[in-house]
Amino acid sequence: MKKFVSLFVLVAMLAVSLTVSAQDSELTIWIYDDGRLEVLTELGAAFEAEYGVPVTVQVVDLSEIRNAMTLGAASGEGPDMIIIPHDNLGPIVENGAALPIDLGDIAENYLPSALDGFTYDGQLYGVPLAVENIGFFRNVDLVPEAPATWDEVAEIGTELLDNGDIDSVIGLPDLTYNSYPLFTAFGGYIFGRDEAGNYTPEDIGMNSEGMVAALTWVEGLIEDGLISENIDWEAAHVQFETGRSAFILTGPWAINRFETAGVNYEITAFPAAEEGGEAGYPFLGVQGIVINANKPNAILAEVFAVDFLANEENYQMIFDAEPRPSAWASIFESATDPDTAGFNAAGINAVPMPSIPAMGYVWDAWVNAGALVAQGELSPQEALDVAVEQILAQVEE
Amino acid sequence: MNKISVVLPTRAYAIQLAVLGVFLVGALWLVTSLMGQGLLPLASALSAVVVFLTLTYVRRQFTPLRWLAGGIALAMLFTLYPLFYTVYLSMTNMGSGHLMAKQQAITRLESETYLSEGGLTYRWAAFQSDDGAYALWLTDADGVGSFALPGVPLGTPPSSVGALDTDGIPDSVDGYTRLPTNQTVPIIAQLSQIDFGQPPEAVRVRSLREAAALQPKYRYDAAQDAILDLETDTLYRPIEGTFTSESGETLNIGYIEFIGLRHFENFLGNEGFRQPLLGMLVWNIAFALGSVIFSFILGLVVTLLFDDLPGKRIIRALLIIPWPIPVLISILIWRSMLNPDLGFVAPILESLFGSSPSWFQNTTWTRIGVIMVNVWLSYPYFYVITAGAIRSIPAEIYDAAVVDGAGSWNKLRHITLPLLLRVMMPLLIASFTFNFNNFNVIYIFNYGNPPMPNTIVPMGYTDILISFVYRLAFTTSNVTDYGLAASITVLLFLLVSVLVVFQMRITRNFGEANA
Repeated sequence: MKKFVSLFVLVAMLAVSLTVSAQDSELTIWIYDDGRLEVLTELGAAFEAEYGVPVTVQVVDLSEIRNAMTLGAASGEGPDMIIIPHDNLGPIVENGAALPIDLGDIAENYLPSALDGFTYDGQLYGVPLAVENIGFFRNVDLVPEAPATWDEVAEIGTELLDNGDIDSVIGLPDLTYNSYPLFTAFGGYIFGRDEAGNYTPEDIGMNSEGMVAALTWVEGLIEDGLISENIDWEAAHVQFETGRSAFILTGPWAINRFETAGVNYEITAFPAAEEGGEAGYPFLGVQGIVINANKPNAILAEVFAVDFLANEENYQMIFDAEPRPSAWASIFESATDPDTAGFNAAGINAVPMPSIPAMGYVWDAWVNAGALVAQGELSPQEALDVAVEQILAQVEE
Repeated sequence: MNKISVVLPTRAYAIQLAVLGVFLVGALWLVTSLMGQGLLPLASALSAVVVFLTLTYVRRQFTPLRWLAGGIALAMLFTLYPLFYTVYLSMTNMGSGHLMAKQQAITRLESETYLSEGGLTYRWAAFQSDDGAYALWLTDADGVGSFALPGVPLGTPPSSVGALDTDGIPDSVDGYTRLPTNQTVPIIAQLSQIDFGQPPEAVRVRSLREAAALQPKYRYDAAQDAILDLETDTLYRPIEGTFTSESGETLNIGYIEFIGLRHFENFLGNEGFRQPLLGMLVWNIAFALGSVIFSFILGLVVTLLFDDLPGKRIIRALLIIPWPIPVLISILIWRSMLNPDLGFVAPILESLFGSSPSWFQNTTWTRIGVIMVNVWLSYPYFYVITAGAIRSIPAEIYDAAVVDGAGSWNKLRHITLPLLLRVMMPLLIASFTFNFNNFNVIYIFNYGNPPMPNTIVPMGYTDILISFVYRLAFTTSNVTDYGLAASITVLLFLLVSVLVVFQMRITRNFGEANA
């Protein structure tokens, strides 16, 4: 019996590998969040009606997509197309799995920053769908006028705190991504960019003056008891939605819970380091379609993603299905609701999050630096120096 | 009757042979296709399994092995193979940019094309003859149209051209009929594989809008073992799995290369790594030991306290509650209860003692917290086991002890504990081994944080080896260094093996002492 079981296992493996290697005209798209599942399935059905090629849309975990496009792509597996945040692009390109895309004349309809996000080493590798950045949320009931500088934020907060109106001046969900506008306001950066706009891993700005200044500002808040030493995503959001903190740095994903909680908020541009200084700017996230270059149907996938999909009507459909700022410039600009306008104001100078592989080493080191400062273990300068060492050690590894 | 008894075995034998044949052919096909993809380790493991299975079939002296063959084959494929593969991986540079076998990488590179300077691009329309052959009508930038067939030099004028439409494209040419767009799209992948015209001037379909005179970009030169970039005439030689030119330029697609013990040298030879790693190992053992000892004690105490009470069924049910709740959820609940800003533990402690520990920032308190959570998760197990085991201790022994004048403490100390430990020891040891690699509690509770200052790679004070491996290999979202992670896994495997040997010795000694 056992030998039949083992035979069966082998035959099953055989059958699986046969089906994997079979190729026919069919397209699969893997997406990582289900907000666009319905509209893409609808568009896929329209494509099938026109060209007789079925399009399957599947919701797959982002890490699974990454694996499929790196490990899996090497053996020609994985989906024909994926929708990813652009910062995942680097390793996919570096492993040769992303098809270079030529948008031709259509390109001028897109936001330049959206195309920028999917450009790697001067070559476009994705069809942008939507852009996303965080904004500066303020509780209007507590603070009627938006402060212009971070010091004003601290002053207003101190006053409210002394009156017992709030528990925490500002919600910092983390000291990395969500706090980036704070770092940039003081002149900090992560990687420098060359003339062509490519991020250069050689120029690490992690321990630059601006980064240290921003972290010192945070350290001051903690020492003065204006914010908790426990930098916690959930705590930051809960405090803001219960009116126990005056500000928070967060993104569109939080709007739903703030509305449900009934907090009276406004989204504006970020404060600057000093009066008249440049406002802090956030990272820009771009979501778009990347085509698996290792699949025989790559060119067919390009017909779907570019020739079929990329027009204003379809982008409007996608925007209506899931209202994230569209990468299609005219739709982006026509968004009029105050939240979107606020995010757009906050993100006017946003830079695409670096997608170079070295960025992968940044997050953990950056989180650690923030935690070490918050705990009072290291000074901001020391902590960020360690972070740079850690990044360098791993880049060289 | 006789006839049947002769015929049946023969037929069965024939069927057996046929099945074996099909199996071997299938296996051979699978192995060759794996080798073709350069997956040598998997192919050789599979071959070993196939040879083994076949031997048990055909050799009489192996017949007894048949009963075990399935199990052994599965063990070879799913236990031994991953083990050896991990060891092999630890000696390679497999990771981002080095994910393919060399042959795969070369094939990928050779499939890349480029448009030479001055190379022509066209708009195109597809044509198909009655027997299914394809042709293109090409329109160049000046709007001049031409007909292109595979293998026929471009610019060869067709003999008959049908009626032109408004774009200047005919509806038929030389027996080829024009395909409308909706019939072109489904076959575009096939079209893109065909050279129209005669190489090297041949034109290929590049997208729905464009066909172009594309040239192959790379050629592999087997004699020099190097990749030649035909566009820039640069030679890229392989250096540790990366094709590198003389000026240091590299190609994106690299391959998996054997690099020996370098990973081990790198991290074991580095003081900034070894020192914290040693500390981590000590904490790892302390965490596992602490969890086991405290949850056993708590389980025992609960058993002793509640076993004789009225309504013990309800109490027992309540005490077992932590058990069926998914570990993930329990830990997350603990996390939020202990949260200094939102949780309810902080205000209670503050009103009692005037201050509340920093559960996620302070090293000692985080360590206490994580052991506490783990004890809470695992004591019901020990409670259930001890409650059962205690009942198996004969009441006469206690009666005899009472006669000898023993009190509760002496009964516990001299009867219950020794007899209980004898039953429990193997379970305690198994539990220790489990906790040694208890990733869930560590990672979900505080991701291995608080961070250690001044380490060369991010490490946390509550990181145990397994969570550190995970951190290293998988949380740096953009980068995956499988080789390095595998080498640490191998190290971990060796450490755990030593522990297991050690434990087996203890168990045996214990067994003998009590025997």
